[in-house]
Amino acid sequence: MKEQIARVQAVALEQIAAAGCMKELENARVAILGKKGTLTQVQQGMKDVPKEDKPAVGALLNAAREAISAAMEARTLELQKQADAAAVAGVDITLPGGSLPAGGLHPISIVREEAVRILRRMGFTLADGPEIEDEWHCFDALNTPPDHPARNEKDTFYFDSGKLLRTQTSTVQARVMEKQAPPVRIICPGSAFRRDAIDATHLSAFNQIEGLYVDHAVGVGDLKGTLEYFLKALFGNNTAVRFRPHFFPFTEPSFEIDVLLQATGQEPRWIEIAGCGMVNPAVFENIDRETGKSLYANCTGFAFGIGLERLAMIRWGIRDIRLLIENDVRFLAQFQ
Amino acid sequence: MNISKNWLAAYIDLDGLNTAEMADMLTFAGVEVEAMHERGVNTDLVVVAQVMQKTPVEGSDHLNVCMVDAGEGSLRQIVCGAQNYKVCDKVPCALPGAVLPGGWQIKEGKMMGHASCGMLCAASELGLPDKEHGLWILPQDYKVGTPVRQFTRTDTLFELEITPNRPDLLSHWGMARELAGITGRSLKTDPGDILPPTQPAGDGIRLSSPEICPLYTATRISGVKIAPSPTWLAERLIAIGLHPINNVVDITNYCLFELGHPLHAFDAAHVQGALHIRRAHSAEHFTSLMDVDYVLQESDLVISDASDRALALAGVMGGKDSGVTEQTTDIILESAWFLPSSVRQTSRRLGLSSDSSYRFERGAAAWNVLRAAGRAVQLILECAGGKAEPTAVAGQAPCTVPEHQAAQATVLEQGSGAKVFCALPQVQLGWKELDVMTHATIPHMEAARILRNLGLREATPGCWDCPPWRLDLKRSCDLLEEVVRVYGIGNIPPTRTAIYVPETPQDRAHDFRCELSRHLAGAGFWEVQTFKLIAEQSADPMIASVQYALPIKPLQEGDTIRVALPLSEDHAVLRPSLAPGLLAVAARNLNQGMDVLHFFECGRVFRNTGGGKGKDIESEVLGILMAGKLSPSCWDSLKPRAVEPQHLVAVLESLLPKQTVSITPAKLARDAAALSADILINGQSCGFMARVALNVCRTLDLPQNCYYAELDLRKLQQFVTAPFKVKELPLYPASGRDATLELPATVRHADVLKAVESAKQKLLESCRLKEVYSDPTGEKLATDRKAVTYSFLYRKPSATLTAAEVDTAHGELLKVLAAKLPEVRYR
Repeated sequence: MKEQIARVQAVALEQIAAAGCMKELENARVAILGKKGTLTQVQQGMKDVPKEDKPAVGALLNAAREAISAAMEARTLELQKQADAAAVAGVDITLPGGSLPAGGLHPISIVREEAVRILRRMGFTLADGPEIEDEWHCFDALNTPPDHPARNEKDTFYFDSGKLLRTQTSTVQARVMEKQAPPVRIICPGSAFRRDAIDATHLSAFNQIEGLYVDHAVGVGDLKGTLEYFLKALFGNNTAVRFRPHFFPFTEPSFEIDVLLQATGQEPRWIEIAGCGMVNPAVFENIDRETGKSLYANCTGFAFGIGLERLAMIRWGIRDIRLLIENDVRFLAQFQ
Repeated sequence: MNISKNWLAAYIDLDGLNTAEMADMLTFAGVEVEAMHERGVNTDLVVVAQVMQKTPVEGSDHLNVCMVDAGEGSLRQIVCGAQNYKVCDKVPCALPGAVLPGGWQIKEGKMMGHASCGMLCAASELGLPDKEHGLWILPQDYKVGTPVRQFTRTDTLFELEITPNRPDLLSHWGMARELAGITGRSLKTDPGDILPPTQPAGDGIRLSSPEICPLYTATRISGVKIAPSPTWLAERLIAIGLHPINNVVDITNYCLFELGHPLHAFDAAHVQGALHIRRAHSAEHFTSLMDVDYVLQESDLVISDASDRALALAGVMGGKDSGVTEQTTDIILESAWFLPSSVRQTSRRLGLSSDSSYRFERGAAAWNVLRAAGRAVQLILECAGGKAEPTAVAGQAPCTVPEHQAAQATVLEQGSGAKVFCALPQVQLGWKELDVMTHATIPHMEAARILRNLGLREATPGCWDCPPWRLDLKRSCDLLEEVVRVYGIGNIPPTRTAIYVPETPQDRAHDFRCELSRHLAGAGFWEVQTFKLIAEQSADPMIASVQYALPIKPLQEGDTIRVALPLSEDHAVLRPSLAPGLLAVAARNLNQGMDVLHFFECGRVFRNTGGGKGKDIESEVLGILMAGKLSPSCWDSLKPRAVEPQHLVAVLESLLPKQTVSITPAKLARDAAALSADILINGQSCGFMARVALNVCRTLDLPQNCYYAELDLRKLQQFVTAPFKVKELPLYPASGRDATLELPATVRHADVLKAVESAKQKLLESCRLKEVYSDPTGEKLATDRKAVTYSFLYRKPSATLTAAEVDTAHGELLKVLAAKLPEVRYR
């Protein structure tokens, strides 16, 4: 019996060692430990062992079982490890990516969202107005003289109804102030239209962001501090900003704002980026006259406007403005 | 406007200023420098050289090899292509190392095999006005080797943008006066300070339209000798880009650019009797000095004479037959004031603009009328001789600014025999307003000094006399602007104030649009921005046109909004839908070889509600276009699936995960749509979906599977952002049963859903389409039939369902379906 146990154990260990895969190992387990397995059969011989020998043979049998189990477990780990290695052996992770459909936002949306995000952080809320406007909101309210060149049908798109496509988002200034008492702190991103032939630097329909802050005792310093902060947030904290005196009918004093930008390999240049100014008192008077209320009599404020196409062109070095309306995916894909 | 630095220096001390500092000075005066041009040579390496030999280069029809003496002791070989010189001529020669205007560096080189050690120059290559075609032939008495800059003056030309409120800056004197006021540099003698002797015009001048021309002066000068202008005068005109003509004409131009007031000289021999300033007769003809014929209207103003012929178009341009020529001996010099709006109207209508009309349009100062006349008379007598009569004055200086009429005014007297009275308007300046606007950072003393430097005088405390050239100063805020502008916004400390403001509906709309766009971009769509003005009809597939609009509601005549005067037919109508733009984008990108055409746009569409008579409606919509392949082909998927309608529906559903999106086929398909359907969200119509008509796809060269959906953004926002509460998770398990229905192919999924709903089976939790089967060969299933498999899920909230309960419920449901749907067979 003792020899039999030793023989079964030796054969079993050989079988385990010879198993080349999990399936063979399982076969070996059945052949050794299954109902008709070699070790099971030996174990069944225990009943014929004389009583006095039983403890010794039993101990031997247990030792054999433990040795076999341990070998089995070791071989399992070993084979699993081999199988795992084989499972990933053929995978080439350097292959190019598969095919998810690509998509992205339009560059104008990207700059609009960024400008709006900064300005909202500064306490401006959004406002809106129609793009088909009347002359009052587009010109009269904004102190544009009746014979101003912009009011010509060669420069502005009119409709037979006498209405027009707004030439600037400043119309929203009038729209908001006639509805709301001060303080007013709004921005309006939106489209504006001018009757310019389309070329590399002009579109007859373009996008602007208009801003307006009106309250009691708003000063030039507020205009300067606000717009400097905004432009530095947009172009980088080290960007130099300058205000150049200019003229707009609806603000006085008026300024154009330049930022000092440096393209690689070029001298830094002042680039005109926005127009702004202190709201002309005539605008407040026009609103108050129209509404019949005297809400804005003692107010001051500032307004500004910035062109989004220009912003995008400067930021990404876009040379032809038409790229922004052609929507060629080879162009759009660069903003993913 | 062009300003020459040398000319400017005649009126203001510019010593020690370089061009960059000049440009800054102008910039901060509110004058934008659009460009700067250096004129003349600023190097000793351009010298006088004499051409000693000239040999044609073999094989070239224009090149010559020249040996020139540049005063170096030996001759220098230069290949030259000009034709206008001969041996012995003296010409400017740029030696190697010289840098010419525009940064052009001269180097030794070879041309057609011949060494060329320098360049013989034309005047234009040296930044000087070209006097002849080709090389600049220098006077023989110039010594070879002498740097050319000894004979030429360098100058800088500034191209300036003058804002429309500052016509007083449209001259060299005006600009000098402004710069002196701003910088404190001293101003030299005012060239306009010589007023001519005057006399009342009497019958000599008839003002028939004083509302347009209230002041007209004419000076007769007899015995002038018409000749070329003296060099100094011609050079100044050349410097700012004008061509000298003759002394009298040049002087009128010169005075315009010196003092800013337009003048005109008539040949007295062509003027009969009294001058008559009148409105044009209806359909009167006028031939300009450029020999162009114009048909006039009664709103135009002309200068005519006793013959009633129009001699000049007032303030715009002289006539062909009355101008000064070489035969002229007697002239009549006009200096007058014309109403800006009248000149602008005439100039614009006729498309005829001149330096003169430009200034009158923007508002010339009446105060300048006699000054310009006096200056021109002085120069004409000096350069052309003759004898001047006292200037005949008709009318009076106008007061055209309403604010000035109301204000008190100091009166300025001009002239002796006939006086012109110019009112000096008074404007109040409240220090309190200044303190509010500047947060009291500008001392009042400093503000007062700034105003005095600009020519204002404090008449009484807080009340300022404005100078007669500043017609733009009307109200307190105009003076504040002057103070802030000159003090410099750079010297005002920035402040940051903010207030708390409530969020507006527009804020939420903006946020929604951003989130929606990012979602769609992440789902593989390109956001595009197409033009809002589109064509009504266009043959070019890349031009968006209304004919390809796809809305369910047909477009009626007048629904689309057309601009009165479009730039072109391609951009004539406001888009009624985003579909035309998106289709054009698809066509453009298909052309570039793209086969995954997934685009979206958020934006406004425009429609009139009443066929052109109702209200113009602007609404914000989302347009989504899907065509071609579902995903790009790639090494791991060589044949991606083609887009089908369910893919577009899946996108819509992904936007609205909590809502029921249903597609209701429309009864009437539109011309441009092969299939169209309403999109309902929770039963409410929110937009439409369409398959583009196949003939349209062929016309636009698009793939045949082209699907489009358009949704109202506000409604979409309402649904997506609607508040909700979470549902309790079910406590008991659900049981599923599948059923395969064999149906006529024409029965739609929506019909099945309707039938399922009508069963009102309480235990039914959901019903999901699992599979659609059809057999085009007809072998396993007739071609007009289809087999659809649905998974039904049953659940009771209060207990676990038994199999028997589920079977009963399922059986009842199938019975209802069999009754409601035509020709159902269960498989």
